[in-house]
Amino acid sequence: MLKYLLSRVAANVPTLLAILIAVFFLISMAPGDPVDAFVPPTATLSAQQKEALRHELGLDRPLPVRFAHWLGQLAQGELGYRYKDGDKVSAAIARRLVPTFMLALAGLTLGSLLGVLAGVLAARRANGHIDHALSLAAYLAVSCPAFLVGILALYVFSLKLGWFPVGGYSTPGQEGWKDLVYHLVLPASALSIQFIAILMRYSRAGVLEAMNQDFIRTARAKGLSDNRVVLRHAFPNALIPIVTVIGSNFAALLGGAVFIETVFSWPGMGTLFLDGIESRDYPLIMGITLFMALTILAVNTLTDLLYCWIDPRIALR
Amino acid sequence: MKKSKKTMLALASLVVAMSSATAQTFTGAFDVGPSGNPQKFNPLTAPAGFGFYNKYFSTLTLYDVGLQKISGDLAESWSYSSDAKTLVIKLRKGVKWHDGAPLTARDAKFTLELVKHPDSASVFAARLEAVSSIKASDDQTLVLTLSSPDVSLPDALTVIMILPQHLLGQIAPKDLRNADWWKSPVGSGPFKWTRYVPDQYVELSANTDFYRGKPKLARLINRYFKDGSSAALALQAGEIQHSPLTLDQVRENEKTKSYQVVSGSSHVLNYIGLNNDDPRFKDLRVRQAIMLALDRPAIVKNLYAGTATLASCALTLPRFVPTQLEPYASDLGKARQLLADARWPQLSQGEPIEMLTYYGDQVSKDVMAAMQSMLAQVGVKVSPRFVDGATYAQLVDSGKFAMVFAGQGNGPDPSVYNNMIGSAYAPPKGLNRMRINNPEIDKLLEAGKAEVNEAKRIQTYQQLCRVTNEQLPFIPLWVANRFGGFGKNVQDVLWTPAPGGGRYQDYPENWSMR
Repeated sequence: MLKYLLSRVAANVPTLLAILIAVFFLISMAPGDPVDAFVPPTATLSAQQKEALRHELGLDRPLPVRFAHWLGQLAQGELGYRYKDGDKVSAAIARRLVPTFMLALAGLTLGSLLGVLAGVLAARRANGHIDHALSLAAYLAVSCPAFLVGILALYVFSLKLGWFPVGGYSTPGQEGWKDLVYHLVLPASALSIQFIAILMRYSRAGVLEAMNQDFIRTARAKGLSDNRVVLRHAFPNALIPIVTVIGSNFAALLGGAVFIETVFSWPGMGTLFLDGIESRDYPLIMGITLFMALTILAVNTLTDLLYCWIDPRIALR
Repeated sequence: MKKSKKTMLALASLVVAMSSATAQTFTGAFDVGPSGNPQKFNPLTAPAGFGFYNKYFSTLTLYDVGLQKISGDLAESWSYSSDAKTLVIKLRKGVKWHDGAPLTARDAKFTLELVKHPDSASVFAARLEAVSSIKASDDQTLVLTLSSPDVSLPDALTVIMILPQHLLGQIAPKDLRNADWWKSPVGSGPFKWTRYVPDQYVELSANTDFYRGKPKLARLINRYFKDGSSAALALQAGEIQHSPLTLDQVRENEKTKSYQVVSGSSHVLNYIGLNNDDPRFKDLRVRQAIMLALDRPAIVKNLYAGTATLASCALTLPRFVPTQLEPYASDLGKARQLLADARWPQLSQGEPIEMLTYYGDQVSKDVMAAMQSMLAQVGVKVSPRFVDGATYAQLVDSGKFAMVFAGQGNGPDPSVYNNMIGSAYAPPKGLNRMRINNPEIDKLLEAGKAEVNEAKRIQTYQQLCRVTNEQLPFIPLWVANRFGGFGKNVQDVLWTPAPGGGRYQDYPENWSMR
């Protein structure tokens, strides 16, 4: 197991490096200069001032040198400083960690629970009214982009019904865990909608497929109740594709969070990333890329480990 | 029974106290939209966001809410010498920093020198280019000596926040640029900095020692929204008391009447810019034809719902616009004739011209599409291209463009044009991105900047308006309105959509909530 883990980590290093190189060179080649982003199109910064800033930020050096410098910093545990306001990139990312993970994990948990539940329910009532209704709802939910779900949720639940606040992370002066949950419910629900739909479809298919296996017939022949057959025998065997879907959709969840965070003014990594791109804040973009890539690679490795735990027939080598 | 009555009374007073505390807190999305500068706290490097800086810092001068007349903020009075090469500014007595230290002319001298220092990377350095020396002759008197006459300095001073020398004097300008001090600053405005919760909000509290009197509001909160529509929803839901609005949001509010709307001129002139170095646009007849091909009144009526004012020259404040300008009413026949005379088919070789813009809002996209179709009717093919601000600046500064749809703050003082259409200010030196090179325009710009006599100055700029109307170095289109929403319970608020926000006297100490 440990050997497998070490080999996976080692295999991830080149992948990570390739991601970092690709992002670094792509963002550097994109039009727009951080110094121009420093001032909007209608403001003035003299050519001298611009040159001084470029030199100070190291932008007048060749790209490979800049990348090597960034890697050197990374080796010392440093991610550099933001162009925009001189903040430490690591500090800016650290500040957003809790909101980001809180939203992603809340979305993931809600999505997994409801998705699997709906999937099992649809499989139990395959081709019945509930199955059709759930399938239609899943179809609609999958087709709805996250930002649209977010705006609709804000309009209905915040503006019209007044049940939740119109975005934000806390009420100024009333911060506390209750206030936080109050602010979290709507964005987490909006984020989980697509996830619920995708998982529902996979769970339904997985459980239905398992239901046609011989061991289910045996279980039924032994006189077990329907619920017991589904929950104890069919569902555990449908778990592998479900875990795969959860793992592979984690990246999509982080991506969807960019829009949800924007709509809900949630101070997470997504809006920070957008801010970095708008201001061509290369150190910030690289820092977040590193963080996102590490998270996704870690989730992928974790998914593989879970396979082994769920199905002991799978050996990790 | 007695005990429960007492408890009820205590509860009731608590509710009153709580509701009065809430009523005293004004929360606004001050940094949403083009006038904002979210989470950037160094006002020297800020080309926008003055609307919030003004709440805790002070400037020497400020405009009135109509952006017509400049009056003093920290400055009590000022006067130019007859040759406009010396400006003496008298500061108010008794103004204190939020830490209790007196604010003197030395603070103003320190700030202006900091602006001029190359290491401060201040966006206002160019505005103080003519200032050769700054002297604080006593606590209340600041003397600026100029190398060349510049009567636009009182305008430039409306955006320069005065900083405390006793707290910042020992920090090198380069280190000050991104110093942590900006995240817990000491100002001299009507509100004091209380706290900053990164990515969420800044809270200010009333400055009880403010020189014009204690503010009525106890707290002022600037809440951050990544998206303007979320801020408008929060305003509609009554969670915040102020947000900038789009035209669509204003129209939506006409049905729901959820909040009060204030509208005003953006003071930003929208124009079609032409690369004056491009041989296709050197012939005046081509530029006139482009102007005549556009049905600007139709665009203003249908796409801006009548909330924009047509512009016929570079200047738009009424006092600088003379009568009898060529109105360029849409005339497709004449436009086609002019293009034929200028041999446009040969000049353009039938290739579409890329029209670049950094605007991404729906109204601007519709406007681009409308202009594309109007120009196509006379044989000028354009293809719109939408880019972000940084890409726009890089393409245009490097001269790799033919045509743009953009906006420029055209005032309140017309001297801002020196840097934008003066031939000496083509990139990289300045913002004359259209590479306009017209000796007559240069002469008028210099004369306007040096003219002390107000009446003569107005005449000079009216002439500048005439020349830009006749020569069309760029195609002036219109000045659109911008909108601000305020909660129904808000009173005595003064607001106007100034370019970059703020820079006018909005008396926040008088703001209150019912």
